[in-house]
Amino acid sequence: MVVVDSESATILRVKGLLEFRCQLDSTDEQLVRNAISRTFETLRSQVKSESCVLAVSDSPVIIWPNKDAYATPEEITPSTPCEDMHQWIQADEQETSGKKSSKKKSKKSSLASVINLRLMTEVTKPGPLSAPILTKTVLKSHFVSVTLPLDCVVRTGRSDTIKDACEQLIEALTHQLCEMEKVTLQNMKGMTLLVPEPVHFLLPEPKGLVTVVYPAGVPDSQLVTQRKELHQQFELPDDRPYFRRANAYHFPNEPYKDGYLRNPHLALTHPTLDNGKVYLVQGIYSYHHYMQDRVDDNGWGCAYRSLQTICSWFQQQGYVEKPVPTHKEIQQALVDVGDKQASFVGSRQWIGSIEVQAVLSHLLGLTSKILFVSQGAELASKGRELANHFLTEGTPVMIGGGVLAHTILGVAWSETTGQIRYLILDPHYTGAEDLQVITDKGWCGWKGPDFWDQTAYYNLCLPQRPKVI
Amino acid sequence: MGRGYIVQDDVEGYLSKLCEQKADPVTGLLIGQSSTQRDFVVMAIRTPQKEESAAAARNSVDKEWVTEHARQVSRMLPGGLSVVGVFIITDADAKDALTTLRQLLFAVENLISSEHLWDPADDDVTDCVTLQINPKTRKTVCRTFDIKDPKSVAKPADWKYQSGLCSSWATVSCSLNVDMLLPLPNNRTSTGNMEECLKKGLKAWAHQIECGLCLIDGKRLPEDSELTVGQRRNLRQTYTAQLLITTENKRLTDVIRQCGGSVSVTGAIHSRAYLHSNKPKARQAEKLLKRDVVSTVATRVQMMLEELLASDQESKGSCRDKQQKELFCLPHRIFCPLKVSGPLCVCDYQFSDEDLSEVPERLKEMLDIDAAEEDLDTRQEMTVEITGCDVTPEPTQEKVEAPEHKKNYIGVAMATAVALLATVASMLYLNDI
Repeated sequence: MVVVDSESATILRVKGLLEFRCQLDSTDEQLVRNAISRTFETLRSQVKSESCVLAVSDSPVIIWPNKDAYATPEEITPSTPCEDMHQWIQADEQETSGKKSSKKKSKKSSLASVINLRLMTEVTKPGPLSAPILTKTVLKSHFVSVTLPLDCVVRTGRSDTIKDACEQLIEALTHQLCEMEKVTLQNMKGMTLLVPEPVHFLLPEPKGLVTVVYPAGVPDSQLVTQRKELHQQFELPDDRPYFRRANAYHFPNEPYKDGYLRNPHLALTHPTLDNGKVYLVQGIYSYHHYMQDRVDDNGWGCAYRSLQTICSWFQQQGYVEKPVPTHKEIQQALVDVGDKQASFVGSRQWIGSIEVQAVLSHLLGLTSKILFVSQGAELASKGRELANHFLTEGTPVMIGGGVLAHTILGVAWSETTGQIRYLILDPHYTGAEDLQVITDKGWCGWKGPDFWDQTAYYNLCLPQRPKVI
Repeated sequence: MGRGYIVQDDVEGYLSKLCEQKADPVTGLLIGQSSTQRDFVVMAIRTPQKEESAAAARNSVDKEWVTEHARQVSRMLPGGLSVVGVFIITDADAKDALTTLRQLLFAVENLISSEHLWDPADDDVTDCVTLQINPKTRKTVCRTFDIKDPKSVAKPADWKYQSGLCSSWATVSCSLNVDMLLPLPNNRTSTGNMEECLKKGLKAWAHQIECGLCLIDGKRLPEDSELTVGQRRNLRQTYTAQLLITTENKRLTDVIRQCGGSVSVTGAIHSRAYLHSNKPKARQAEKLLKRDVVSTVATRVQMMLEELLASDQESKGSCRDKQQKELFCLPHRIFCPLKVSGPLCVCDYQFSDEDLSEVPERLKEMLDIDAAEEDLDTRQEMTVEITGCDVTPEPTQEKVEAPEHKKNYIGVAMATAVALLATVASMLYLNDI
């Protein structure tokens, strides 16, 4: 659900499992490495051979990329433009209904379209061929048996044909196998081997989607050197993470397993103010609200939910690995820092911005700034501060005051006229994760300055990004 | 409404000739194809004579022998053709004969299906036929049993002779690469261990084939469509299939293990399946071809293992630190047409050290068909020449094993098969119904 490119490029993603098997005759390190390299070379030849096949998911299209892009059905030729493949794909109705918005009518939206392909092997060949041989090798040795999870992404331009796409895909697959070989050999310790896993990251334009191979099971904390190299290679600032596993790009057609909506604000049209600009939260957050997770917090949990939304942002940007805390965990944290009595845990007591700041600090090690306004009417004058916050930190803001708590996801502000609008995510919503309802009824929506209680005082908690990669 | 079997008219003549023989009883197998719409029988095969059998034994039915013959015959049938039933020619009491037939049928079908590496499908027909013929009156009694149900009772069925049956069949075929590498367990690597290891590997590979994508004549046909959909009438009714597979099993842990060596099977096989050509369905073609692919590889491996056991080729396990490498050529597949006209063929496997002349002899003994060497189609698979191959840097002992063969094929096969399947066989007979 992230805007990729205004040029409506087609992204081709090929996934497949390749079996890596070999017998290690000796434990001598160099010989072992040679055997592993040889097996990778065999796999690379396999990918470049005529038995390599790409099957387009949810469609009858099958392509032989190394046979001059021969394809079936016969209407598809090597010179067919890649974009045409969309016509052959049966879209899954259930997935697109979640994204339906009355404001986006055209199919060719600015969301990049992804075509998924499966890597397959053709085992048949025109005969006659030689009958099989059984080879038996008896030797006390080691056997390596791994399935390599290949996952490559290629971005094609408007005018690219199937043939062009095939060349790019095969190159991407061979390159990934080389990367996997490197990572495997780097991480071999004696007779143990870590599985190389590709992860995709979306970098700021024009770099786009980039794939990195990480060794499975090694936590982010041990991969700092690799990330430093990557930041240098891609000329990225060294104070925010781009390559943590949690930063992995989420493809538009993949549902989130946890069921929470991501970035519902993207379905809205943003207001236009005279000489005004829109300043929004950066990155991905989940929408947390009343009644979720089978917790009935209707009437008292709004600040907790806003805090959960903030935690989800830090988790999905890769700053923390801890999952989003529950109400009880939040309450326990406040008891642990001495802010509340033990009886607080399990109660339905409200919390405010100060408590939110305390929990973010104690549970997740994050610092936050507190902004105070003595009257709601003053909020209209905080345009510059909020705009700056979204520009530099880009984190969701929790605002509490009167009897309500909300989350601010952005502002539209005009420096000259002082006009201001607030993008609000309302934790008081009690319904289901229905994007249509949430945006139509304004549970996520743009509000004017009169949204606030003009006489009540408000505290805002502005979480700060840690300067790490 | 019972089942109706449409039978090639030659079979009538064959059964008639058997009636004229002095022996009683004469048992045999019925070969054909059963589908949800129709049942066809294309040939009947008498059980071969056991060489050294006592005079008394000749007048009774040797269940073990009949079953073993059926197992051997089943290996010689390409996809689409199978043992669909048993017959007996006897003037004994009808009820006794039916009981015998029932026992034979269940034993035969259970043994054959126990060797299958695939799971039964929902649309498989589980009814099989028994035929009882009185040699004097030539009266035939035809009944079916559902072999999935051990308590199944006999149901009447029709038996109708028809000419020209053998010419109306469609053939789907392909040549397929096999490339398996499996670790051997880290203890005494006898042939028995290799067998277990190969069986596991074959089962996993068979699953890959079963789940594979099948293209017929380059097209992916919708499930319920017919083979001839969208094409001009393919007069010769031959189709070429392609199989695309993926790996399903994710192996991400315990990736390096200790082993006692490895065994690999690499090469290609020719696979074929027949469908009766009255509206042949794409789904059935795919199912029958995939089953033939799996069984032809499994059969060859099994035959090789049986030969190794028979000629006592245990690996000299003492010097296991020095690498010992042995290469065995799996037998290659030879086809023999059932009739001069018509596409149906049976097949046999020829080891690299056997003379081609042995094939017609086996065809006569097992399938009771008269074939000349010239009739045999040996062009579908090529034999491989093994020269010394230096794959490893260390000096290896390489020997190309040529297992020895004896003339009484079924006898040898029987002995080794019983050795390998001792447990299974005894369980079958213990569960006699």
